[in-house]
Amino acid sequence: MFIDKIYTMNIFRITIIQLLFITNIYAIDATIKIEKDVEQRAIIGLVNESNTDSSSVFNQFKQDFKISGHFLVKNSINGSSYDSNIIPLKLKSMEYIVKFKYSVDNLHKLSVKLIKVSNNKVLLQKNYNMNDSKKVPFIVHKSVSDINDILGFKSIDWINKFIIYSVYTSPKKSDIVLSDYSFNFQKTIISGGLNIFPKWLNKSKTSFLYTTYERGVPTLYKVNLKNGHKKKIITSQGMLVCSDVSKDSSKVLLTMAPNSQADIYELNLKTGVKKRLTTFKGIDVNGKYMNDEKSIAFVSNRLKYAKIFTKKIGKKGASKLIYHGKNNNSCDIYGDNVAYSSKETNSAFGKNRFNIYVASLSKSTTFPVTATGENQFPRFSQDGSILMYVKKQRNNSSVGYINLTSKQSILIPINNKKIQSIDW
Amino acid sequence: MKLKILLAVASLVVLTGCSSKSSKLGSYLENGSDKYKTNKEFAGESVNIGEECFDISQHNSSKDNFKSIYFGFNDYSVSGEMMNNMDQNINVATSTQDYIVLEGNCDEFGTDEYNYALGLKRAKSVKDALVSSGVESDRINVVSLGESTPVCTKQTDNCYKLNRRVDLQLSK
Repeated sequence: MFIDKIYTMNIFRITIIQLLFITNIYAIDATIKIEKDVEQRAIIGLVNESNTDSSSVFNQFKQDFKISGHFLVKNSINGSSYDSNIIPLKLKSMEYIVKFKYSVDNLHKLSVKLIKVSNNKVLLQKNYNMNDSKKVPFIVHKSVSDINDILGFKSIDWINKFIIYSVYTSPKKSDIVLSDYSFNFQKTIISGGLNIFPKWLNKSKTSFLYTTYERGVPTLYKVNLKNGHKKKIITSQGMLVCSDVSKDSSKVLLTMAPNSQADIYELNLKTGVKKRLTTFKGIDVNGKYMNDEKSIAFVSNRLKYAKIFTKKIGKKGASKLIYHGKNNNSCDIYGDNVAYSSKETNSAFGKNRFNIYVASLSKSTTFPVTATGENQFPRFSQDGSILMYVKKQRNNSSVGYINLTSKQSILIPINNKKIQSIDW
Repeated sequence: MKLKILLAVASLVVLTGCSSKSSKLGSYLENGSDKYKTNKEFAGESVNIGEECFDISQHNSSKDNFKSIYFGFNDYSVSGEMMNNMDQNINVATSTQDYIVLEGNCDEFGTDEYNYALGLKRAKSVKDALVSSGVESDRINVVSLGESTPVCTKQTDNCYKLNRRVDLQLSK
């Protein structure tokens, strides 16, 4: 609903250019070999009881169950009676049966039923309606999320949330796009000019910040998706990026360069007071709150190459946070976990390999998340259970997800698009 | 010895395709005791000799008679190789009272936020060079475009070189 409202606003150049469905191809990063023990996941049989074309819904179910890390879809069949609770012989060895029926009249309807095989008990029976065909992936996400909750697994509410990203369209031009996590729903919400580094401002994902260039000057805007309001926050010569938001959404970490020198600043959105946090003459970027927002992690070239440092807010001096790798030019923080990219090859030219690692500061452990290609932009989900990253492939991008508990992973190609920045 | 001579001939054959560099490389081939070693290296890297044909001074994506300044990988210092271009830029900048915009750019490696900062450092280096030659600082605006504005999108070394640059133009 709130998306619909912003269409009418002429305050800024929001254009609904197109709703893009990407090919429903899911490529698994073949290099990820870790799999969670099957015993820890609920084994389900998926029964499609639809009379209409429902292959995209069927695939969406399978993908959602997989990335949740809590389910193993061991068998899937077409059924003939949604109302019957009789378990097909072929699915007797499953723990649970998920039946769904997708139909279209004036609404897109999805009926879902969860049956426990051992006692034929219906644990969940729900109907989901959607008036916009493009948003059908969201009703599948919601039903899987509900099934997950009814069985008492850790919440996977993140699959119901919007992702926001910027994508290059031509030189000096990039659009800002909303999507679901699977990119089967995509909607361009800002276009015209260079629109970069979108960043959600609140947990409910109703407002975001982004940078655009006004007469050549980088300018940070706040957009409220509920009412379409757009508000100028701050400008800075040279560059301006919002890299993190405090838990209560009152403060943001910015990379600004008022004197052509990129440093990290903290801006209080309520008072407008900004505080310079770093003063190094080289490059300091990618500020992330850590340690209950008493410290920041950031990327700096203090040691000639990009490395990840930390410093206490308001104190002098910085210390290296990550010792692994020669070049770490992006990072994200969730609690004691640091996700970072590391350049694995040392070529100034040609193909370079960047991998994502996750390090635990409390346990002093590090493990790789990717093994091949150029992987950047590690981003933890709100609950820290999933890590998203962008894999660059020529002039295209793919978005990868890895469930940090189950180690289940998926890689979704974003055809013919080069992602500039992404947040969720 | 025969092999070395053959390699030298092979090198010269490859080099004939590069008229702008052949005289320089030709004289180098005749240069003293390292002759055969040099010839062998050239022959063994005939593909890279083709790269020698790439003369970055022949490229320019700046406007208003300015010349683009190109940078090394992950570097933001103006190299001696760019001095001729900088001299021309100083001449243009001092012959006008218009404002000047310097746009810093990067190749595709690394994350965009780091690249925006790197592009800015490059633009700042060019600004410092102009200011040290008498151009008023407040007439120069710098901005970073990160990797958003490639002039070349092929995945080749020469292409990456062309994208690591600062473009100059007058602000009108």
